[in-house]
Amino acid sequence: MNSLRIISLQPQMWVRFSSTIPEFINRNPRNLERMRIARKPDGYHLDKPGRKFWHKLVLTPSNRTVTAQVVHFLNGPVIEAKTSEWALRQQLYSINDTCAYINLGRVFAQRCLESGITEMYCDIKAASGGKVQKFLDEVVKGGIKLEESEVYKKPMPWDMLRPEKPWEINEE
Amino acid sequence: MLKTFRGACIANIQFQQVRFAHRIRGKAPIYCRTIKERLEELNYKDEIYTTRIDIGFPRTKLSAADLRTNRLDHIKKIKSDKNLEQLARNHKLEIDLTKARNEWLKTSGPYQKKQIADHYGVFEHLYREGYFIPFVNLDIYYNLKDGSLLPVYSGNVVKPAEAIEYPSVGFESDGKSLWTLALTSLDGHLTEANKEYVHWLIANIPGDAVEKGDTIVEYLQPFPLKGTGYHRYVFVLYKQGKRVSYDLPKVTSSSPLEARTFVTRDWYEKYQDDITPIGLAFYQTDWDDSVKDFFHNKLNIKEPIYEYDFPEPYIRPQEWFPRRKPFNIYMDKYRDPKQINKEYLLRKLKNEDPFKTPPPPLKFPNAHPLPKSMPSWLKLHEKKIRLGWGRVNDV
Repeated sequence: MNSLRIISLQPQMWVRFSSTIPEFINRNPRNLERMRIARKPDGYHLDKPGRKFWHKLVLTPSNRTVTAQVVHFLNGPVIEAKTSEWALRQQLYSINDTCAYINLGRVFAQRCLESGITEMYCDIKAASGGKVQKFLDEVVKGGIKLEESEVYKKPMPWDMLRPEKPWEINEE
Repeated sequence: MLKTFRGACIANIQFQQVRFAHRIRGKAPIYCRTIKERLEELNYKDEIYTTRIDIGFPRTKLSAADLRTNRLDHIKKIKSDKNLEQLARNHKLEIDLTKARNEWLKTSGPYQKKQIADHYGVFEHLYREGYFIPFVNLDIYYNLKDGSLLPVYSGNVVKPAEAIEYPSVGFESDGKSLWTLALTSLDGHLTEANKEYVHWLIANIPGDAVEKGDTIVEYLQPFPLKGTGYHRYVFVLYKQGKRVSYDLPKVTSSSPLEARTFVTRDWYEKYQDDITPIGLAFYQTDWDDSVKDFFHNKLNIKEPIYEYDFPEPYIRPQEWFPRRKPFNIYMDKYRDPKQINKEYLLRKLKNEDPFKTPPPPLKFPNAHPLPKSMPSWLKLHEKKIRLGWGRVNDV
């Protein structure tokens, strides 16, 4: 799966002024994903767990503990929060009850924000009012968006509309 | 004899219908490799290129037995706490996030920070094969104009306007040792790829008093170029074994930008006997208006603007007699796009008068009739322009 990475690592930019190099390469491997022009691993739409994502939220409850992870499609798990780790366990009454799920959601959202990953794909189907639903609610409340934007496709000259470029939108 | 035999054979042939369309192409699924296996083989890299070296400090090990007994005692205490149990049963138990974070920094935090830094390619671009576990936590805060503080963790976004002044830096120090703090931009070099700019370099910091250190390179605000996306700016804290005088020219805020060109790996290689990296924090930043001011007022040069180079659309070779193609749309594909845009622009400027207020846009563009004598392709063309569809948007 590395071939995708090589493509996404080498953005080729062109310059309109000649004061600097004509082709600027941003080495940040996450840059194109943030700018929404990196590729997503498309082509597995017949597989049951979808693979069309850059970052995905994975929640793994075991018999004793609960683990929440952000999984990148190439790099594997990159952020992790467990109820069994001492930071959480120290203050929890039980490590797999509803309260554990709620607090795991809060800690997980905080760690994602600290790492600059604010959007992720999530295919968890939670029963309403259950523990998992409460976990997801806390993650959303913490400032994480549980869906990833579509890849920006450059419009052809003969296309009807010109969608806005995601990197030119000013938030303020 | 032979002839008669062959004749009999031919007579016995039954003409069966063969469906070639459903033949399996390539090897059968049990023999062929999956796309994953094939990509792994294609992207295989030898161990020489993938082996990594830990250049940081080893973990200070605590006595596992003490830790275990302490933790077991604590858990016993929690389990016998009736108040806590009631809170948990009513879903009202909320843990203290700052306390949890401080505990995380002491236990698994450094390892997870290393993981996320790898995800952002920080170590690869700082030290290539080297990496370290950031055991010392860096508390870096940018002071905003409204009095609030903006922290730098591991990859969060800080806008250039928020980072014009140097941040306050704090870390846990034993008071005796000396430290070096470096801030470099991994992606921002204007002329040479694979090089960095050093934005801040302070050596011989006693304790955690950053102001008392020797400032070798004065602070410079981040300047991510327009259109190039998010740049990484990395703070690395080094622990010094002794007082080090770096053989670097002093850079002030009025020095030219070229003086800040820096390669962390080469610099570290030179002083690796005396300094060891131990703390890491980084942020991402993208263009805003303060970068324009920086280029115009501080560097006194024109601001470079970049645009992502998308691949050109494929247009198949032109045919003499294209079938079932609208002639105007077909011909436009093979004309110079600049010429087409010029025509649209001229058409737009024809009706514009600088001394009159522009006419209001049509409320129901399709309700205004077009002359009956107009050919249908031209009617469609006009309608597209009125609705703002297609090439008219490129002007």
